[in-house]
Amino acid sequence: MKRTPWMSPLFIATAVAIGCGGGKSPNASATADPDDAAPQGSAQLAQTPTSAPGGAPAAGQRTVDSGSVGGTVRLVGAAPKPEPVQMNADPACQQQHATPALSEEVVVGPGGGLKNVFVYVKEGVAGSFPPPTTPVTLDQSGCWYHPHVFGIQANQPLEIVNSDATLHNINAKPTANPPFNVAQPVKGMKTKKSFAKPEIMVKFKCNVHPWMSAYAGVVAHPFFAVTDEQGAFTIAGLPDGQYVLEAWHEKYGTHTQSITVTQGAAKSVEWTYNAQ
Amino acid sequence: MTPKWYRTWRSVAVALTLSASAARATAAAEPTNAPRAGPSGRPTPELAAGRAAYTQHCARCHGAQGHGDGLDAKRFYPRPRDVTLGVYKFRSTASGTPPTDEDLFRTITDGLPGTNMPDWRHLDDSARWQLVYYLKSLSLVFQQTQPSPVTVAQDPGPHDAATQGKALYEKLGCAACHGTAGRANGPSAAGLVDDWGMPIRPANLTQGWAYRGGHDARSIMLRMLTGIDGAGMPSYAEVVSPQEAWQLAHYVERLQEPAHWNLIIRARPADGALPLVLEDPRWAQADRTDVRLRQAVAATGEWVAPATIKSIAVDALATNDAVAFRFTWDDPSESVKGSPDAFALLLKPAKSAGDVVTLHAWPYVGAPALDLCAWRADTGQATEELATTFHRVFAPSRRQVSLPSTARYADGRWQLILHRALQSDAPGTAVIGAAPLTSVAFAVWDGENAQARAVSPWVDLALRRKEEDAP
Repeated sequence: MKRTPWMSPLFIATAVAIGCGGGKSPNASATADPDDAAPQGSAQLAQTPTSAPGGAPAAGQRTVDSGSVGGTVRLVGAAPKPEPVQMNADPACQQQHATPALSEEVVVGPGGGLKNVFVYVKEGVAGSFPPPTTPVTLDQSGCWYHPHVFGIQANQPLEIVNSDATLHNINAKPTANPPFNVAQPVKGMKTKKSFAKPEIMVKFKCNVHPWMSAYAGVVAHPFFAVTDEQGAFTIAGLPDGQYVLEAWHEKYGTHTQSITVTQGAAKSVEWTYNAQ
Repeated sequence: MTPKWYRTWRSVAVALTLSASAARATAAAEPTNAPRAGPSGRPTPELAAGRAAYTQHCARCHGAQGHGDGLDAKRFYPRPRDVTLGVYKFRSTASGTPPTDEDLFRTITDGLPGTNMPDWRHLDDSARWQLVYYLKSLSLVFQQTQPSPVTVAQDPGPHDAATQGKALYEKLGCAACHGTAGRANGPSAAGLVDDWGMPIRPANLTQGWAYRGGHDARSIMLRMLTGIDGAGMPSYAEVVSPQEAWQLAHYVERLQEPAHWNLIIRARPADGALPLVLEDPRWAQADRTDVRLRQAVAATGEWVAPATIKSIAVDALATNDAVAFRFTWDDPSESVKGSPDAFALLLKPAKSAGDVVTLHAWPYVGAPALDLCAWRADTGQATEELATTFHRVFAPSRRQVSLPSTARYADGRWQLILHRALQSDAPGTAVIGAAPLTSVAFAVWDGENAQARAVSPWVDLALRRKEEDAP
């Protein structure tokens, strides 16, 4: 599994979060006081490029990018050890992994950042947002879904690709939208689908390879993100106003948080889940 | 606590239902997917009539509210459907869309072979249509989503199932679950779970009599195009051309092996010494008899895993001194270590005339001893003794005498030859041929599915003398 903490564009935001979240309750903490972040975070920050790609804020900055809300999701307590996945049911899968792939159910980065948390604006978005015509791609490669968690706008095309020389079936189990279960027996096959109604979350699974799972957050607008290896996320372009933000994790559930965007800026959002 | 008479009655009733459906599936020659609309057309929906029919006929398994949690639900595998979900397996409609009214009518009319869902042909058309309307009223799905029937092209024929159909079977990955020979032994077969998290097994494509939704080419093609919602089977509608779909359907149809159901096994006379080699050409002279097996779960009475062994084929040849049996059964995995695959031929002991005991119930408190001729895959040995429990199959003892046997496992199938002298060396055991008919029964263990054993009803073994056996 790739982990490149120092290269992540959002590392600094994460580092800030690491510094400020210790000892807080396992429930969603309110917006953190970034001034507390300096001591612990700065030691690492000194070694970090300050102009990280993607426009991450500089250390100590009170808010994230203009027009954006950002933050970090962390796991406190002992994180479960990632389970190695046995793929001996299908040699075409097994031979693609020199070492066993690790379950992506709980992926915790250095400092407790929780990856694969879907974050979206649950309430407060006004107006309508035409769905992008560019598809979101869900790739099946190495008998693994890439990405494991992703967001998609309602009615935005979803392109499901089989990059493996083996049979996959894509068994999608939405409840607000019609479910489907389609076969992709041949490498290179693509299937286009879309979900008309917002739904948190839509689960995808492959019956042939029962270890495979992916989750899509279907949202009516473009204001969503998925946390990276450091547990960091950014939602850009949010107009001034009051919103409710929700975080969803496949094992640990949801958190909600009210936020205010003023003059294109909002306080960083810090969430923690308890591993117990 | 359920009374014993009731449990016995249920086993008998269920066994009867199953053998009746199996016989019907074998006999049915007409395509089973053609909807059978009543001659007078459909009645006007009357929910009260539908509810009354449901309560009388369906609720016992599917539950009073339709949640699949009726009185007998846990005794069945697969479990009765939760009809409030509106997810139906056997449809003519696109994956993820609800069935047509005709699909539901067909399932109620024909039942689902290989499951405990019987046919309801004895209800008149009107009652079955009212049941369709009532089932639809139990799920919002029918209001939210319209059925979207798949297009079934004309069969272009002629078919080259042997080469093109086989190539498609491989290309489309059917073997991942169904196995290269269709014996439900693909590498993914053992790990399948349905959408409700229950373990599920792919269809054994050689057992046409257990195809739930019909075993003719058109029904097979519908399963391929629509998928089986709720189970793992996906839709291939977007990845096969109509011609390919027909080729594959005819190939799968050809994988089916005819089952010769019978309650009498006839042992024909063998020339010379009894065969102990599987390929001995004299086996071709034997009359194959197929016997249905049922899972018996003694510990809990609940079915928690799908059956993996569903029938056994018996060939028998005899001399004046002994009988040679060749047993053939499909088992998706070869288990020789740990919990081994095993088999038992059971006979009624010499002094037990008239004892009534079903293998589903045996052993019970005070049950008579049975003559147990057992073979197990780990030792590869067969032995015989009088026993009062199946544990003796797996526990060697000094009382056991050895029986000649040969066994082989290949691609999802066991074959076992067992020789049994008409009069055995083990004390008190049955004498075959003492009466014109000798009662025999079978029990089979799949080591990978060790919680359950598959058992047969008692069937009769008849020895044919040479003079009776003139061609």
